[in-house]
Amino acid sequence: MGPLAWRIARRELRGGIRGFRVFLTCLALGVAVIAAVGSLSAAVKAGLARDSRSLLGGDVELQLFHRTADARERDYLAARGQISEVAQMRAMARTLDGERTSLIELKSVDAAYPLYGAVTLAVAGGKQAPSLAAALALKEGHWGAVVAPGLMDRLGIKEGDSIRVGDAVLTIRASLVHEPDAIGGLLEFGPRVMVGEPALAATGLVTPGTLISYGYRLRLPPGSASAQFVAGLRAAFPDAGWRIRDLGNAAPNLQRLLDRLTVFMTLVGLTALLVGGVGVGNAIASYLAGKTETIATLKCLGASRRLIFRTYLAETLALAAGGIALGLVLGALAPFLAASLLPAQLPVSARLGIYPAPLLLAATFGLLATLAFTLWPLGAAAAVNPGGLFRARVEPVLGRPPARFIAAVAVAGALLAGLAVLSATDRRLALWSVLGAVAALALFRLAAAALVWAARHVGRPRRPGLRLALANLYRPGAPTAGVLASLGLGLAVLVAIALVEGNLMSEIDTRLPEHAPSFFFIDIQPDQTASFDALLHNMPGVTELARVPSLRGRISALNGVPVERAAVAPEARWAISSDRGLTYAAELPAGSRLVAGSWWPADYRGPPLVSFDAELARGMGLKLGDTLTVNVLGRELTARIANLREIDWTSLGLNFAIVLSPGTLDGAPQTHIATARTAPGSEAALARAVSQRFPNVSAISVRDALANLAGVIDAIAAALTAISAVALAAGILVLAGAVASGHHRRVYDAVVLKVLGATRRDITRAYVIEYGLLGLAAAALAAGIGTLAAWLVLTRVMGTEWSFRPGAVAATVALATLLTLFLGYAGTWRALGAKPAPYLRSE
Amino acid sequence: MPFPSDGPIVLVEDLHLTLASAAGAVNVLRGISLRIEAGESVGLVGPSGSGKSTLMMVLGGLERPTAGRVEVAGLDLGRLDEDSLARFRRDTIGIVFQSFHLVPTMTALENVAMPLEFAGRADAFARARAGLEEVGLGARLLHYPAQLSGGEQQRVAIARAFVAAPKLLLADEPTGNLDGATGRLVIDLLFRLRAERGTTLLLITHDHELARRCERIVALADGRIAEDSAVGLARLGRG
Repeated sequence: MGPLAWRIARRELRGGIRGFRVFLTCLALGVAVIAAVGSLSAAVKAGLARDSRSLLGGDVELQLFHRTADARERDYLAARGQISEVAQMRAMARTLDGERTSLIELKSVDAAYPLYGAVTLAVAGGKQAPSLAAALALKEGHWGAVVAPGLMDRLGIKEGDSIRVGDAVLTIRASLVHEPDAIGGLLEFGPRVMVGEPALAATGLVTPGTLISYGYRLRLPPGSASAQFVAGLRAAFPDAGWRIRDLGNAAPNLQRLLDRLTVFMTLVGLTALLVGGVGVGNAIASYLAGKTETIATLKCLGASRRLIFRTYLAETLALAAGGIALGLVLGALAPFLAASLLPAQLPVSARLGIYPAPLLLAATFGLLATLAFTLWPLGAAAAVNPGGLFRARVEPVLGRPPARFIAAVAVAGALLAGLAVLSATDRRLALWSVLGAVAALALFRLAAAALVWAARHVGRPRRPGLRLALANLYRPGAPTAGVLASLGLGLAVLVAIALVEGNLMSEIDTRLPEHAPSFFFIDIQPDQTASFDALLHNMPGVTELARVPSLRGRISALNGVPVERAAVAPEARWAISSDRGLTYAAELPAGSRLVAGSWWPADYRGPPLVSFDAELARGMGLKLGDTLTVNVLGRELTARIANLREIDWTSLGLNFAIVLSPGTLDGAPQTHIATARTAPGSEAALARAVSQRFPNVSAISVRDALANLAGVIDAIAAALTAISAVALAAGILVLAGAVASGHHRRVYDAVVLKVLGATRRDITRAYVIEYGLLGLAAAALAAGIGTLAAWLVLTRVMGTEWSFRPGAVAATVALATLLTLFLGYAGTWRALGAKPAPYLRSE
Repeated sequence: MPFPSDGPIVLVEDLHLTLASAAGAVNVLRGISLRIEAGESVGLVGPSGSGKSTLMMVLGGLERPTAGRVEVAGLDLGRLDEDSLARFRRDTIGIVFQSFHLVPTMTALENVAMPLEFAGRADAFARARAGLEEVGLGARLLHYPAQLSGGEQQRVAIARAFVAAPKLLLADEPTGNLDGATGRLVIDLLFRLRAERGTTLLLITHDHELARRCERIVALADGRIAEDSAVGLARLGRG
C-alpha cells in the first residue's frame, strides 16, 4: 500500500471511531477469547514444564506393573543415579471398629522420596508438622501414615487416630497437603494414603497378581542426558516391559486433556470471531455506504479505483490493528484472572506470564477474519460511480465486487480455516469443526435468502404495519442475512453445548446407573473366589454378581511385528500405549456381541486363541486368523484371533478388549475382579461386609466415580458455555450494529409514516413484527443447526446415546427472540419520537 | 498567450447514451455532435432531464456512451480503461459541483492539494496554499468544510478544480446552492481564474444571465442539441 493511501486513510480517520465501536468490539472479543484460551493453555503447559521434575518424581521414571525390579536391574539403575522407589495400588481403609470404609489410593515411598519438590504436611491446631520420615516411622508398634484430608472426613476420624489397611494398623500422623508427584489428579477413585515401604509390606496386600505398580525414579548426575540413559536402558533390558517416562512426557494424560480442551475452546473462540467477523464486515459496509460521496469525489479528482481500495483497506487495517491490540491485551490479562478459577484438582499451578506465540496466533486469526469479512465491501465500494455526484445522490454499491475481490475473500477464508486446522493439536477435529462452521454459515445465508424471498412473495398484506415490517426484511441493503447468520451461529453453538452437556449428564445421572453395577471389586485372590461369591449371594439386596479372572498384559506384537513398528491408527493407540487388563473365558462375555468368527467351545484346550475388540482390530489392521502377541508378567504369549467382538463399553460391565481361550493363562499369577448391583440403600453395608471379610479386596463405588466424572464434565461445560456466551455477545453486537446503522433510515420512515397519519402504535407494531420475525427465524435455525451439531458430536464423535432435550432448545429460542426484540426495539424507539417538521424541512 | 486555439479541446460525434431503468430503456442522449475550441467558454442550458449533466459526465470520463465518439484534449475516451480515465481526470479535467463535494474529513488545504497528491507532485501543498490564497482563503487553510460557509466551500472547490491547471473545467450549477450575492462573487471568481489561465469552460446553468457571460450557449432539449449560438455580449467582454 502506497504512502498516499495511508495518508488519505489517516485523514479519513479524523472522523473519529464512533462509527467503529461495533467493529472494534466484535474484533476485540473474538481475538481476546482466542488469545485468552491460548495464553491460559500456554501458562498451564509452562507450569507443567516447570514442575515436570517434581511431577515425574525424578529425571526419569520407570514403571513396572505387578513386579519389582530384580537385583540386576536395580544395580544397573543405582550405578547411574540416585533411585527413589514408590509403589501405588488401590486398597480399602477401615476404621478400627470396621464401621466405616473407604477406597483409598495407597502409595508407599522410600527414604529418598521425593527426589524433587517437597511434600507439605499439616497437623491440626497450627502445630509444627513432623517431617515425612518421622510421620511414616514405626512408633509404639504402629506404622505412621499421612492422608489426604478427604479420608478423615469420610471415615470420621482425626489425626492421631488409626485405620486398618489390609492386616496393618496405621496411625495418621498428619494430613497430606501437597504431594509433588500427584498427577492422577482429575479422576482419582479415592483419597491418598501415603506410607513407608515396610508399612506396605505389613498390610499383606501385595501378593502375586495384585494390581500394583512400582515406580523407580532416578536423579541423574548433573549434565547427563536422559535420552542417552533411556537408550542405554532399552538396550540393556529389551524385555523388561517397563514404561519409561522422562521430562518430555511427565504427565502425558494431563497434557492430552489440556490439548483437547485447548482445541475445543479455541474452536468455540473462533466461532466468536466468525460471528464478530460478520459484525466487522457490516460495520465496514455501513461505513463505506456513508462514504459513497467522498469516494465519488476522490474519483472525480482523479483517484484510481485501486487507490480508493487501498485507502479504505489501509483504514480498515489500522482500525483492525486497534481492535486486535485491544483483544490481545484482554486475552493476555485473562489468565491472571482465570487462574483462580482453574479446577483445584489440577496438579500443576499455571505459570502466569505473557506468552507471545498464542498472542501472535490470535492476532493472525483476527487479521485474517478482518480481511475475509471486509474485502467484499471494500471491493464493492471502490466501484462507486462518481457520475452520481451530478445527480441528487450517489448510490452506495450493494452488489458483488469484481471477481478478483471474491477470489481474495476466498483466499482469506481458506487461510483462516487452514490456520485453524494447522494450529490445532487435533487436526481432524478442527477440520470437521471448520467444515461445520462453514456449512452452518452457508445454511444461515441460505435461510436468510429464503426468509427474504418469503417476505417479498408473501403478498402485500393489507395492514400497513405488517407490510412495512416485511418490506424492511427484504429492502435492498437490509441487514437480514448478516444478523441472521451472526446471531444464529452464536446461538447454535450455545444450543449444541447445552445439548451435549445435557446428554452427557443424563447419561451419567440416569442412563449409566440404570445398567451399571454399584461396585467393582478388585484384587480378589484366587483362593477367595468361592467364599467371596458365597458372601455376596447371601447379602440381601445384591443382584447380578459377575466375576472374572483379571491379568495385566501389554500388546507387544501384531502378526509378529513389534507394535513399535506396526501401523496403528491414532484411535487405536490407547490400547498399545501401556498395560491393559485381559482375561480368559469359556463363554462369550456379557455386554459383547460377536461380529466375526465364532466363539470357541467351552471345553476348548487347544493352542491359544484370542477374541479381540472389533474396533481395535480395525485400527490395527488385524483380521480373523492373524496373531496377537501379549506380554503377561514378562512372558510372551502369541494367540490366533478366533473372533471379533463389538463391546458396549457404556454398560460399565466387566469388559475386556482381549479375551483369551481357557487353559492358556490358568496358571499365571492373577486376581479376580467382580461387579455387583445392590439397592442404593445397602451399598455401605455391602462395602463394609466385603472389607471386613476380605481386607485385601477393594470396593470401587461406581456412584462415587461417576460423581467425580460429572464434576469434571460440569467444569468443562461451564468453560465452553462461557466462551460461547462471548460468541452470542458478538452476535448481539452485530444486531446492535445493524440497528444503529439503519437508524437514520428508520427515523425517516417513521416521519413519513407519521405524516401519512400512522400512530406510534402502528409504527411500534411494525418494528415488533420485523424484529420478532428476525429473532424467531434466527432462533429456529439455531435450534436446528445446534441440535444437528450436538447429535453429530454425541453419536459420531463420542459414540453415546442421543436424546433430544427440548428444554435447553426452547430456552435458547426464547432467549434469542426476546433479545432480538428488545435490542431491535431499544434501537428504534428513538425513531418513534422523531418530530416530523425538522426532518421534512431539511430533506 | 491566454487563448491557445490549436485544435478543438472537445470533439463529440453522434453521441448516444441509453440508460436501463425499471421502466425500460431511457435514451438520455440521442445523437449529439459538438466541437469546443480550446479556451472557449460554453454555457450548457436546457430543461431538467434534457441530458446536460449526462453530457458533462461523459466529457469527464465518468459515464461511457452507448455509441458515438468522444475526444477530449486529443484523447479518445472510448479507448481508455478505468484507471486511464482516472489519470485523465487528474491531469486534464477540473470539476465544480453544485453541492461543492469537499471531503469532510480533510482541511481546505488538503482538499485542494488532493489532485496534485494523486499526481505525485512534491509541491502539492505549496501550490494548494497559493491556490487558496488566490481565492481569498489564505486565512482558512486548516479549516474543515463544516467550519466554512457555503460560499467559502465553493471557493475551496474552485481552487481545487484549478489547482492542477486543467485544460477543461466542468462546472455544474456552481451557484445553485448559494444565495444571489455570494453566487455572483463565486462566478466572478470562476470567470476571472479561467480568463487568467485560458481554461476552457463548460458551464451548466439554469440562469440565462449567467449563461450569457459565456462566449457560446448550447441548448439541449430531449437529448439533442436544440440551439448552438455565439453570444455577442460575451465576445465583447472577452476583448
